[in-house]
Amino acid sequence: MAAPSSSRPFCRRGGRKLLQGVSGSFPPLPHEMAAAEEFLAFNPAGRAGPAAASRRRCRGPRNRKKGWKRWSGPEARLGREIGDFLEDVGLQERAAGGLISEQPNEDLFFLDTGSAPKSQPLKKKKPPKKPPQKPLHVDLVLQPLSKVPPPKNICAYQTPNGRKERRRRQFWEKKAEIGEFPRAERRLRARLARGGGGTPQKPPELGRSDPQRPFYDIWGEHNPLDAPLAGQDPWYLQQTKRLRVQRPPRLQAKPSPLPPVEVIGQGGSYNPPFQDHQELLLRALEVETRRRREEEKVERRLKVTEEPPSQEAVLREQLQGLLEEEEEEEERDEDREEEQNPPRKREQPGRKTEKQRRREKEQREKAGARARARLALQRRQGLFRLRALRRALRLRDAELQRRRRLRERQRRLRETAPKRLGPLRYEDAGPEVQLSEELAESLRRLRPEGSVLRDRFKSLQRRNMIEPRERAKFRRRFRVKLVEKRSFRAITL
Amino acid sequence: MGGLEKKKYERGAATNYITRNRARKKLQLSLPDFRRLCILKGIYPHEPKHKKKVNKGSTAPRTFYLLKDIKFLLHEPIVSKFREYKVFVRKLRKAYGKSEWGTVERLKDNKPTYKLDHIVKERYPTFVDALRDLDDALSMCFLFSTFPRTGKCHVQTIQLCRRLAVEFQNYVIASRSLRKVFLSIKGIYYQAEVLGQTITWITPYAFAHDHPTDVDYRVMATFTEFYTTLLGFVNFRLYHSLNLLYPPKIDSQAADELKPAEGKEYAMDSESYLERLSALSASLARAVAPTHEDEVEVDEFPVEGETAELMDAKKKEQEALEKHKKLFEGLRFFLNREVPREPLAFVIRCFGGQVSWDKSLCIGATYDATDPSITHHIIDRPRLDKQVVGRYYLQPQWVFDSVNAKLCLPVADYFPGVLLPPHLSPFVTEKEGDYVPPEKLKLLALQRGENPEEESEEEEEEEEEEDDNDKEEEEEEDESEKEEEMKLQKMEEQKMEEQKTQSKVLPVKVTAGKVRLEDKQRLEQEQQSEEKRLAIMMMKKREKYLYKKIMFGKKRKIREANKLAEKRKAHDAALKEQKKKNKKARQA
Repeated sequence: MAAPSSSRPFCRRGGRKLLQGVSGSFPPLPHEMAAAEEFLAFNPAGRAGPAAASRRRCRGPRNRKKGWKRWSGPEARLGREIGDFLEDVGLQERAAGGLISEQPNEDLFFLDTGSAPKSQPLKKKKPPKKPPQKPLHVDLVLQPLSKVPPPKNICAYQTPNGRKERRRRQFWEKKAEIGEFPRAERRLRARLARGGGGTPQKPPELGRSDPQRPFYDIWGEHNPLDAPLAGQDPWYLQQTKRLRVQRPPRLQAKPSPLPPVEVIGQGGSYNPPFQDHQELLLRALEVETRRRREEEKVERRLKVTEEPPSQEAVLREQLQGLLEEEEEEEERDEDREEEQNPPRKREQPGRKTEKQRRREKEQREKAGARARARLALQRRQGLFRLRALRRALRLRDAELQRRRRLRERQRRLRETAPKRLGPLRYEDAGPEVQLSEELAESLRRLRPEGSVLRDRFKSLQRRNMIEPRERAKFRRRFRVKLVEKRSFRAITL
Repeated sequence: MGGLEKKKYERGAATNYITRNRARKKLQLSLPDFRRLCILKGIYPHEPKHKKKVNKGSTAPRTFYLLKDIKFLLHEPIVSKFREYKVFVRKLRKAYGKSEWGTVERLKDNKPTYKLDHIVKERYPTFVDALRDLDDALSMCFLFSTFPRTGKCHVQTIQLCRRLAVEFQNYVIASRSLRKVFLSIKGIYYQAEVLGQTITWITPYAFAHDHPTDVDYRVMATFTEFYTTLLGFVNFRLYHSLNLLYPPKIDSQAADELKPAEGKEYAMDSESYLERLSALSASLARAVAPTHEDEVEVDEFPVEGETAELMDAKKKEQEALEKHKKLFEGLRFFLNREVPREPLAFVIRCFGGQVSWDKSLCIGATYDATDPSITHHIIDRPRLDKQVVGRYYLQPQWVFDSVNAKLCLPVADYFPGVLLPPHLSPFVTEKEGDYVPPEKLKLLALQRGENPEEESEEEEEEEEEEDDNDKEEEEEEDESEKEEEMKLQKMEEQKMEEQKTQSKVLPVKVTAGKVRLEDKQRLEQEQQSEEKRLAIMMMKKREKYLYKKIMFGKKRKIREANKLAEKRKAHDAALKEQKKKNKKARQA
């Protein structure tokens, strides 16, 4: 109905532009309504309607002083409204130089004919004279209190080393007449004379993985890699640490004798011969069954025994500590028995008598003589056992041979087997295989099995070039806090 | 008893090794940087013999390096670059955080970079060393060049890999050094002989990517980073060894044929060159114009005995190789759009064939499908409606099988819609006594110049004609075989008898002299077998034992092979029966 009080300022001339668009539907001005009864509705309370007014009326008890103190009641409301109105009129007079309703339309509006040419002089109105503003208190407070004037900034009046600089300038001016210039200028001039803006900037070198990067003959005689050091004294280069450290020959050996690219067997052909395909299937089956068996083993271990403990077992468990006395008694009996017949202590051997020593010595000698005699006899008899001896030797030889072969085979296996290079062992990814019904009839229908990328990766691991690793687990450092936004709250019915 | 107490773990194995973490600290690098450095420098972890000693009494599984290796790493200039890079990243992050865009620009301009050229030279002191280690590099480059250009690894790396792979393929074509191809379910295996070194590599099929998650992409990218550098230098050298220009230029004649306007639909100007190179249809420009040298004949020196035989064998081998290189010379292929273009074009061009494809399929098509001079049309669909007279329509396997067999195989087995013979691996070489599948036997016979094909075909025809009498016929066949054997045996017996009579019957009277029929070969054989028997008799017991074992092993092998062959026969028979049944069912 009425223009809100906040929109008042655009009645001013300055706010004209704002009015351009809405000039057609400008709401009736408050002055027109002043005559009418509804002018009361101009203020916010009135806008709310009679219900709000009634609410205002019965606010607060009147039997207390507090109730009377408020400027309330119907008279008060009337007074407030009149005050508002007068204020508004005052504002209009101040801002627009009179009541807006009384002003001619030409003053308030104009016809929008696009961008007006600037030459057209705007009718300027003198701004109403403002009373001279008093300085704000804040500024006054911030004024320096001291009577002593602040020190002057000397640099604002004189340059440091001014005299020296001036002399130098004069000196060089004199020199310039002769044709001599300071060093910097001389160099600049020389560069200009050489013709060009200094050394030409090199184009940025292409990186190692740039698709257009150049290559050269690195194994040739004159390659750019060795060029800077070519022809210099090796002793000098070594002492100045410009010579590259030689790669130890130990590093030229490969960590595994396996070939870099292991070609898949004939069964892995896209259109394999029957027999080879069957073999491959068999191998794959073996791998698969082994894997299954291991899985089952783990599951069997993890399985909970289905039978709950019997009542007897439960009872026994509950009586566990209570029946101990009897056993203790038994133990005590045993102890007593032990006390009755204690183990006989072995007598410490005393010093041997001379006789004993002599006898022992004699016996030792006799035993030695007997052994020697037996050995001699055996040797003599061995002459007649030559065949048996030879056979024994042969057997031993054969046994050694067998062991050697075994060791050799194991060594070869160890060499080709992937080594253990870390916490994890190398795990072979089973053979790539296509079942008989998956085999393609033609090249067009072929669905590749496995991934070359994984094959390469596993090959590197198998050849001990990288250690098998697990992907690092992602651990969250802080707990995730879930918050439901009020504006996006899920509706639950 | 003086002297200091020996402390544990201060000498021996414990001092030769260093754990990964200590090595990392010694080099002042983060773990990823350390791993990268080790890969680039070719330093691999070691498994010590006595882990507990090395681990100072602990049995915790750790990764160990040789201490000397790590000391060697300390001299590497790249280490300081890694540290600089770390500082650079820190500064950059700070600048970003403060929104200092000028600083960001400046920092980015001065980004620390490093090159791997000196490492290549250090790890491969000679060119041959590099060639020997090319398998990995090629496989990796071919693999990375098929990666999608999104995420996972840098686009630049992928592009570089593609460029290097294409360059190498062009070299192989120019030098005709491809030897074997094998289409497996995993990818395509190639083997080439470059300057006397056999190089094997694997390429994935196009569009065959499932990106496995259990693969460390960062490690693979680091390997690739090194291998691209290596392959680039190797390519340069290889091109120069053939007098080709590097970076490769398409021959001016061929370039004219290709018409520059044609490429515009496919790629931007900057890319079209590589695309045209990767089409593999044009020959490369040479630095020095190729002069048609008359074939250099090797001077022949008179040699005797075994060396002469060896020389002969070598000569024959050489001739066979030359023939193999010119396998497809003079043939003109056309690839239908459903066949894998790149591997086929590569293989055909490697053996001197000319190849083209539909203009809308790829850049670099030189002739049209309607060209009357086309001899072989490669097609991979059951049938084609409009067939042109005067050319073979073949399935792509023919090309690969022919290359492996070193001769142009008979085309009948490879017509469209025909059940293909199995694709045999050229990398498998059967030893004596091993089971050889019948397909391979057929192939070997073909290589020897025989033609078992016709016989078998005739047989098949006969069989088809006489469905019912099949069994009888087989029996007959068997009988005929038996008869032959019998005849042979009889002949032998006769001869033996003759000999016996000659030795037993005493000459009572003088008769006219007969020309004694001496079978020289037989005598020789007998002598040889006799010698062998004697040698066996003279063997020491130990050796005899070993010999018997070896012989037993051989026999077992043969037995197994026979078993397999029988199995195969049974399988084939079952298949045939089924076919017949199907046929009958169809007829009925």
